[in-house]
Order: sequence, then C-alpha cells, then structure tokens
Amino acid sequence: MKNKDEVQLIVDGRRLDGRRPDELRKITMKVGVLTRAAGSAYIEWGNNKILVGVQGPRALHPKYLRDPTKAVLRCIYNMAPFSVDERKKPGPDRRSMEISKVITEALSYVVLLEKFPNTGIDVFIEVLQADAGTRCAAITAASLALADAGIPMRDLVAACAAGKVQGQIVLDIMKEEDNYGEADLPVAIAPRKKEIVLMQMDGNLTREEFKKAYELAIKGALQIYEMQKKALLESMKVEIEE
Amino acid sequence: MKIYVKDGDFVIPGQLIGENINCNLEYCIVEGNKVYSTVEGLVRVNRKNVKIIPSFGGYIPKKDDIVIGVVIEVLPSGWVMDINSPYLCIMEGEEATEEVFKSNLKDFFDVGDIISAKVSEVNEVNSCKVVNPKKLIGGIVVDVNPKRIPRILGKKRSMLLLLREKTQCRIIVGQNGRVWIKGENTPIAIEAIKKIEREAQTKGLTDRIERMLDEKLGMVKKKNEK
Repeated sequence: MKNKDEVQLIVDGRRLDGRRPDELRKITMKVGVLTRAAGSAYIEWGNNKILVGVQGPRALHPKYLRDPTKAVLRCIYNMAPFSVDERKKPGPDRRSMEISKVITEALSYVVLLEKFPNTGIDVFIEVLQADAGTRCAAITAASLALADAGIPMRDLVAACAAGKVQGQIVLDIMKEEDNYGEADLPVAIAPRKKEIVLMQMDGNLTREEFKKAYELAIKGALQIYEMQKKALLESMKVEIEE
Repeated sequence: MKIYVKDGDFVIPGQLIGENINCNLEYCIVEGNKVYSTVEGLVRVNRKNVKIIPSFGGYIPKKDDIVIGVVIEVLPSGWVMDINSPYLCIMEGEEATEEVFKSNLKDFFDVGDIISAKVSEVNEVNSCKVVNPKKLIGGIVVDVNPKRIPRILGKKRSMLLLLREKTQCRIIVGQNGRVWIKGENTPIAIEAIKKIEREAQTKGLTDRIERMLDEKLGMVKKKNEK
C-alpha cells in the first residue's frame, strides 16, 4: 500500500473517477429479482454489487428467540469470497457481524414488527462485489427488499456516506478514497422525518467538518430516496398480455 | 380534508396519502391528522375514503376465512395444519369424530391430506383453530400471492364463477393464497389464475380473462372435434 501523501485523490476539483466532490456514483436499483424469496432487491452502486433477499414473516427457530409482542428482524450481511481483490475467507467475521447488527437495528426502527408476533423476518444481504460503501448500499437495498416483501414499514431507509479526502469533504467515497482518505461517515435516515437510524464514523473530523459531512451525507441520502421511490414504483408496473 | 393521491395510483411505504381522511388502518399509520401508507400497493379513492390494496405480503389468519391447508402432524386429539402462514393452526379431533381418544385420527385425516376449512378462532398471537373440514381428494393446489385472492374471487365472486363456468372445473379458493382445482381443463384454469395474479392491479381484467378462456377452450374443442 502506498503512503497517504503519495496519492493524489483530487485533481483540479475532480476525483479519480471524474466526479465532483458532491456527486454520487452511478446507481441502479432493481426490485423483485428473485422469485423464491418473499422480497428481493439488487443494487449496483458504482462498483458495489449487492443482492438482498427477504424471507418471512415465518415461524422463528430456535423457539426461545420468539417474542410474543413482536417479530424478530434478523439481517445477515455476507461478503462473497470473490467480492474483494484478495479472497475473503467465507463465513461470518467481526466486520460482517458488526454490519449485520447495525443494519438490523436501523431497519428495526422502520419495520412495524408488532404486526407479526412470534415470527421472524430474515434479510439476507449478499455482497457480490465490494468497492467501499457496502453498508450504505446494503441498507438501501434491504429496505427495498422489505418493501417488496409487503412487510409494513413506517418509511423506507436511505443511506449515504460522506468523507474527508485530502482535507476536502466529499460525498460517497470509493475504495481508493476509503483506503487513502482521512475520514468516513456513513449515515442512514428515514427520509420522511429525516430521522437518523445509523451513523458511524471512521477517522477524525473537526466539528465544522463533521457538520459539513453530515449535511452532505443527508443530501446524498435524499437523492438515494428518490431513486428508491422510482425503483419501487417501476417494479409495480405490470405489462398486460393480450 | 386533503388527498394527495389519485384513484389507481401506486404508493410506497411512508408516502403521504392525505389529511383528515378515512383509510384502512391495516395498511397505513396516522400521525396527527396525516395518514401515511405502510406498504407498497394501489390506492382506491372514494370521496373521503381511501383504501390501500397491498401488492405483496403473507397470510395472517382472520376469523371466518376459508383456507386450504395441508395436514403436517396428527396429534392425540387433533391435527396441526400448514395454512401458508407463519402461525400455528390446529384442528380439533371433534371435527371428525365424537370419540376422539378411542379412534385413530389418522383414519380421518392423515399427514399430507389437503383440507379446506373455516377459521373459527384467532388468538392474540395469531394462532388459529379451524372447523368444518372438507377433504379435497385429487386435483391440484396452486400457490398464489395471498393479497391477490380478492381479485381471483372478483366482485361478488364474479371472477370465480366465470372460471368455474368456462372451464367446468371444481375450484375452491382459500384466502391463504391456495387455490384447489380439479377437472379436465385444469391447465387452462391454472393459466387463467396465474394471469389474474400477475395482472391483478390492472383495469378490464375480467374481459381479458373471458377472452383468453374462450380462445383457449375454443382451441381445445377444435382439437377434440378433429
């Protein structure tokens, strides 16, 4: 790995992939891609490729986990061995367990779990290709998949990250910026009331920088929300066969 | 009163439907005087009343529903049924015989038998009991999206009557997303049901189904005549 000072990440106000500091990567979302799952979504966020499937509400096992007052939401974030440059050892590790936990907590806030007592809702997130920002992409796709499964929700969840690269606050950081940058701030919101359901930070930011990064991340998340709406409405259109 | 959607619009979770309106509370939440949708689906607007028809979702047992279940376990005094729902469904032995403990319940309904029954009781955690079992012998069970069942039945069961009349099949529709079909024209009936499921949220469906059935059944008749 090169030294941080050797790498030029922003040249003439443009980033390595030609984006401006407040620009998102190219994003495509598809809903209802799997027929066997109750709900599913696929997202391509720059070079991130993530597939999400939802099963449930279904009988929860083991039985001692059941809650007679509400459903139990379980998200499982998993990276495929081929999703990164060097083969990742399959199975759960510290990072994927942490991401599973924070995504579960973020989505539990919006899903109306009390409608399905004693049941479990499983959200399987498979990262097929990773390029920084997978937790934001995963949470965005997971909320689409839950909506596709017909599970009642207060709101969708849209997520976006901002970061600090070479002293400048930028939106939606990619792999090189994540590796050589100074800070990363993923934020997930329930867009209707702009409530924060996930916020993490890696690196150091001053108070002013944090404020700027936070506002940029919210702005990005609202753009993501518009794309989510479009993808969901698109999935409901039916072609009539004569 | 303000309504922000039009009749026939698609809505998504969290979308503002209107202010000071009547909406089916099953699929919306009310905050102050504002009403928000909680599911993705279609809206029907009738003056002050708004109805959200969800596109997808599992089956939650409701009292008086007719369901099609499969026996998955025979208990000493009853049966456990799978009714395409996350909840436990029990049928008591008294539904088949008065002398429950003296008789072998497997003689009445065994594991794997398909039964249509009526939901008689649903408790606070949605576990239910069913009564009036009828064994469905032969035929085929088709799984459909439970939220599309009202469309398969149609207004005053018009679609179901149309399917029965045209295909001459015996068709029983369970509210739990299972349709039992028996008869000569079963493949055509299945095709029609799948079409209804796919195009449930479109207009003029009954006419299209009628045309399709006439066309397909006409072809079968011609083949038989040859």
